[in-house]
Parts: sequence; structure tokens; C-alpha cells
Amino acid sequence: MLAKYEFLKILRKKSTLAVMTVSLILTGFLFGLPVMQYQTYNQDGVIKGAEGIAYEKRQYAKLSVSLSDEYVAETIQEVQGLFKNPDNIGNDGNEQFLIGDAYWNKIAPREKLLNLIANTYSNPKDIRGYNDLPDLDIEDGASFYKTMKGKVKTLLNDPSRGLSDKQKEYWGNMADQVDTPLQYGYYGGWEIIISSFELLMFALFAICIVIAPVFSGEYQAGTDAVILSAKYGKTKLITAKTAASLLFGTAAFILHIIVACAPVLIAFGTDGFDLPLQIANTAIPYPFTFLQAVLINIGIIYFVLLAVIGLTLLLSAKMKSPYLVLIILVPILFIPMFLAPNGTAGIYNLTLFLLPYRSAMPEFGKYISYQFGGLVLDALTVRAVLYGFLTIIMLPLAGLGFRRHQVS
Amino acid sequence: MELQLQNLRKQYGRKCAVNNVSADLVPGVYGLLGANGAGKTTLMRMICGVLKPTSGSIRFNGKTMEQLGEKYYARLGYMPQDFGFYPEFTAREFMLYMAAVKGLGKRRAKKRTEALLEMVNLSDAADKKIKTYSGGMKQRLGIAQAELNSPSILILDEPTAGLDPKERVRFRNLISDFAREKIVILSTHIVSDVSSIADTILMMKQGSFLLQEPMSTVTDSIRGKVWEFFVDERAAEKCCREFSVVNLRHENGMVRLRVIEQAAPTKNAKTAEPGLEDLFMFHFGGENQEQGVKEYVGKI
Ligand SMILES: Nc1ncnc2c1ncn2[C@@H]1O[C@H](COP(=O)(O)OP(=O)(O)O)[C@@H](O)[C@H]1O
Ligand SMILES: [Mg+2]
Repeated sequence: MLAKYEFLKILRKKSTLAVMTVSLILTGFLFGLPVMQYQTYNQDGVIKGAEGIAYEKRQYAKLSVSLSDEYVAETIQEVQGLFKNPDNIGNDGNEQFLIGDAYWNKIAPREKLLNLIANTYSNPKDIRGYNDLPDLDIEDGASFYKTMKGKVKTLLNDPSRGLSDKQKEYWGNMADQVDTPLQYGYYGGWEIIISSFELLMFALFAICIVIAPVFSGEYQAGTDAVILSAKYGKTKLITAKTAASLLFGTAAFILHIIVACAPVLIAFGTDGFDLPLQIANTAIPYPFTFLQAVLINIGIIYFVLLAVIGLTLLLSAKMKSPYLVLIILVPILFIPMFLAPNGTAGIYNLTLFLLPYRSAMPEFGKYISYQFGGLVLDALTVRAVLYGFLTIIMLPLAGLGFRRHQVS
Repeated sequence: MELQLQNLRKQYGRKCAVNNVSADLVPGVYGLLGANGAGKTTLMRMICGVLKPTSGSIRFNGKTMEQLGEKYYARLGYMPQDFGFYPEFTAREFMLYMAAVKGLGKRRAKKRTEALLEMVNLSDAADKKIKTYSGGMKQRLGIAQAELNSPSILILDEPTAGLDPKERVRFRNLISDFAREKIVILSTHIVSDVSSIADTILMMKQGSFLLQEPMSTVTDSIRGKVWEFFVDERAAEKCCREFSVVNLRHENGMVRLRVIEQAAPTKNAKTAEPGLEDLFMFHFGGENQEQGVKEYVGKI
């Protein structure tokens, strides 16, 4: 009953509607940019927008295959064959590449797949392309999955990652769970969603703007005295306000997720939802499909949201006005945006990857893990636990802050 | 039913806003009189549990506020000084919201809301947004919300502030309607607000109770010490410095002075019937002269 009132109180503020509208439009725009700006090429030039997407998907139709060792070997041999004909080859003095029909007909339609294969065979430090495939010796078969495992191992052993034996074991075990052979196919929409997650920070901030007055708005309006001296003012009302804030936050979050993902998935299709992440990068250890990966990361961002709501309520209970709440929240949410990691090891980087903004980025391929004694947890788990824990701490503290508020 | 204030104190840094206030309050109307800054609001906030005393305790029927928790607040109605509303709410919505916070059931909330809006004469404006209300309408809504839960303790902090004289009379009637069987504490710095409805006068100065007296005997201490006499303007100035002047009025080129002194200040001075105003002016004349005299003159 009280929670309903508090929820309606949030909803009927004009600022709520305004802030949510702006934030939904912004989120839709930011996630929609890749759709609007989409372009691909063929021999005849640029193909833009929906037409480009349709063209690309037609190219991929032939690539919905299982990447068996035999298929990979054949593919590599085909490319090697193309390089055997001097007419196909161009040279910029630095490296060789294919030109003309050889490129446009045989490479361009599946360049991403060829790059994926080339990178699986490459040294960790190098980024490779299809034109490195001729150097590969595949007399005895492709050994693609053996190479893939070996590459993960090499990456884990790279001293710059500073991984302990336990952590290497943890990631190694996880990578072993990846189902092989990998099923390839089109995953354009999911790729865009996964690389755009941090844009949801604006949605989180918008939700905070709406929640900020839940307690401090009472102080500002001067209603604190009547409310705190009423029967449920220091008890059920606090629960109601908290519940209303969480309810609003959840509803607004779902709405933003829909506005963010729907246009992308409508434009690019949901193709690839059941394909493994490894077809984007074989070094990824997480045995998830694209849909699973997206849902898991949305779940983590939701936990971040809950903690940020908790913090907003705590500040709201302690500050005299909603503006002060936002003044403190802005740097917490947005300063991490300007801090770039310089690796994946060390206190600085490991902290950075847990801050709200970075926590929105899944970083599936970076082997970010945290060790507590003998326990190793990956960044996704630590984020979920950390933000869940913060939520559980902040909400009661916020209530206490309001209960103890001194009217003066 | 008894509300006990025991050695209540509230310290703000070096300033003692309320200093060692004790009182045993039983049902009746208490007029809490004091100049601005006397500590009335601070005292009331502590009674209403929205401000923690530096020391001392508040007990209701022997139990402290902390022991009673919700049970205490359930029996409390509070109209704070300078409080606010949700500007986008209508009066009816605000009342229903407050009723919910006060734990009234849905049906009772509706009934009390309608009855009280009627009593404070806001029924016609009940569906207008509060931001369109005048100061007087807001005050009436303020007292209506305080009364929603039919409280046993009703705390009204300067409920007549900002009202015009006519509204003020209506308000007094309203308060005496609500006051039955309750402990009502009504603060004001305007004597006429309480002189007709208070059973007991609590006079507060610099954080302490100066006196706690039943209305019927409150002026006994100055009986026979209130004098009135005429002087010319020049002499009036001198008298103001020499005596405690509680009122001064120009009449036909002369000045009528009302003073409180043990003995007759001049030969032609006559004793006058003492009033609450005299007592108030006697205690607060120095600090509240201008406003007090104006009020008093306004009344005559
Ligand atoms: N929050 C506060 N901080 C410091 N001093 C305060 C505060 N609130 C009240 N005071 C001081 O306490 C004294 C009593 O104030 P108040 O209770 O509002 O008096 P009244 O209601 O009788 O006008 C005043 O001198 C005021 O300046
Ligand atoms: Mg006051």
C-alpha cells in the first residue's frame, strides 16, 4: 500500500517522465548508431544500411558450418592456393595480399572467419589476417582445436598477465569446457550489443536522477517532520520507499534494455544467439553462447544498478537536496570512463575492472580474475558478488540514515 | 494520559536552544509562549521525535519514546512550523498519503480525509494542486493532516503564523474543537492566539520555561502591579527608560503608558486589571517590543 504510494510519487513527477524520455532516446540512439552507420563493401563499392546488412547476411549463409579440423584445413588450403597464382597477388612492399576477383570473391565474403583462423595460429602479440595463412604448414592436418588450446595456454602464461598457477588452472579448466568443433555463422547483432554495454551507464545515471529525491526530496520539500513523526515514518515507509525505488529501477532498466537491444536485433536479426562466443575470438575461455553472454552481462549490469540505487538512496538519506546526491554520483559513475587500463594485472587494473563503468564491459577475452587465498573467481562473478554485497549493505544504511535524520 | 518532559536539553554547539525543560502534561491545551528564538520549535521537534535531545527524556504514560516506537507516533499529531507539501499533489491526495503513512486503513483514511477537509473548509479545493493554495489554506491543510489519526498528543507549532486576523479567529475555534481529551501544545509568539483557548500557559525564554501556570492564575504574580497613567511626550521617553513599559499609546497629544512596577510609578497612576499580554510584555518587552506592542495595540 505504502510502496504503491511511493512508486506513484516517483512516477508522477514531471521530471521523471522528462529524464526517462531523454535517457531512452539517448540509449536508443547510442545503440542504434551502428545500425544507422552500418556499411559493408563489395567490388562495386559501399552498401549501406539495411541493404548492407542483408548483403552481409547472404554472404554468411554459406558459412553456417561446423568448423571441423577438415573444414579449417580445406579453407586454409584454398587461400594458400590463391596465393600460388602471381596474378592474384598485390604487394605494398611490406606484405602480400590478394587483389581482384581472388580477393572479392574468395576472401571478402569470409574475411572475418579467415582472420579468426589466422589469429588462432598466430603469436599472442601479433594480430594476423588472411594473408598470413600461406605461411602455415598444414601437411598433417589443421589441428585447429589443439592450436586453439595451445594459444590459450600461451596467453595465460604470458608474464604480463601476472596470473598465478591457480588462476591459470581456473581459466584452463574453463576453456576446456568450450564445445568443439565450433559452429560458425552470422552473429552481427550480438557483437554490437556486447561491444556497446557500457553505454547503459547513461541509463543507470538517469535512474539515479529519478531516485535521488526519494529521501532528500522530503528534506528539501520540508515534509520530513510530518513524515518522520507519523506512525510508519521510521519503519514501513522506509521499506516502502526502498521497494518503490528498486521497482522503478528494475522497470526502467528493462525498458532501457529493450530500447537498446530491440533495434539492433531487429536490424541485424537474432542470428547467432546459439553460437559460441569463440567464433568471434578463439581465445575467449567462457563456454557461453552469444545469448547467454548477453544475458549474463545484463544480469551483472543489473547488480551494478541495484548497488548504485542503494548508494543513491544512502546519499539521498544523508544529503539535504537531490542535487548534492547527483554531484557525488556523477564522478563515481563517470570518472572510470576516463581511466584506461594499462594491462590486466596489478591493483590499478584489477580495481578499474570492478568500477561501475568498466563493470558494464564484459571483457570476455581478457582473463581477468581475482584470487582470494585458494579461491579464484573471474571478473564477472566478482562483480556480481561485489555489487550484490554493496546493495545489501547500502539499503539498510540508507534506511538508518533516514530514520536518524534530524529535522532542523 | 501523561506526557512527561524530564530535563530536556538541546545544545547546538555553544548555543543551548532548549535548556533543562521539565513538565508533566495531562490533557488540556497548553499555550507555549515565547519570543522568536526562545526554543519553542526545538522543544516541539524533540517531543515529536524528529530531533534528538542532547540530554533528558520524554515519557508517555511512563514509557520512553524509544520503548514505545510506532505506538508513540501512532498517538501523535504534528503540525511543524514552516513545513512543506508536495506541490503536485492535491489536498485530498496529500491527506490520503499521510493517512497511509500514519497507518490508517483505507476506509478510515477516506472517512477522516473527507471529514477533516470539511472541517477545515477545504472540501471545495480538495482536488486542486497544493501549489495553487494560499498560505492560509496550507495552514488549514497542515492542521488537518495532524488530526488525521485522531492523536492523543497534538503539537502545533505556530499554527496561526501568516494568517490574517479573521482566519486567525477561525483557526482558534478549529483548534478548540480538536482539543478535547488531548494533550495539545500550541506554540506562538502572539499572545492573543492562546489567551482564549489555553488552559495552561508555558512561557519560554532563552530555552527555559519561565513559568508554567494555569490560565486562571497566570497573571496573579503581577496583580496590583500593572499601572496606567498619562504623561506628555517628553516625559514618556524618560518613563520608558525608568519603568517596564508594556504598552504605550498616543491619545490627544498625550501618551498613555501601561507599566508594571511594584509601587505606583507616579501619583496619578491607577492600577489596571492584569492580562496575559502584560505578563508577556513584562518578560519579552525588551527583545520583542516592536512586534508585541503592535499586536497589543492591534487588539485594542
Ligand atoms: N539547527 C540549528 N543550528 C543551530 N542553532 C539552532 C538550530 N535550530 C535552532 N537553533 C537556535 O536555537 C534557538 C531556538 O530556536 P527555535 O527553537 O527555532 O526557537 P522558536 O521556535 O522559539 O522561535 C535559536 O536561537 C536558534 O537560532
Ligand atoms: Mg519556531
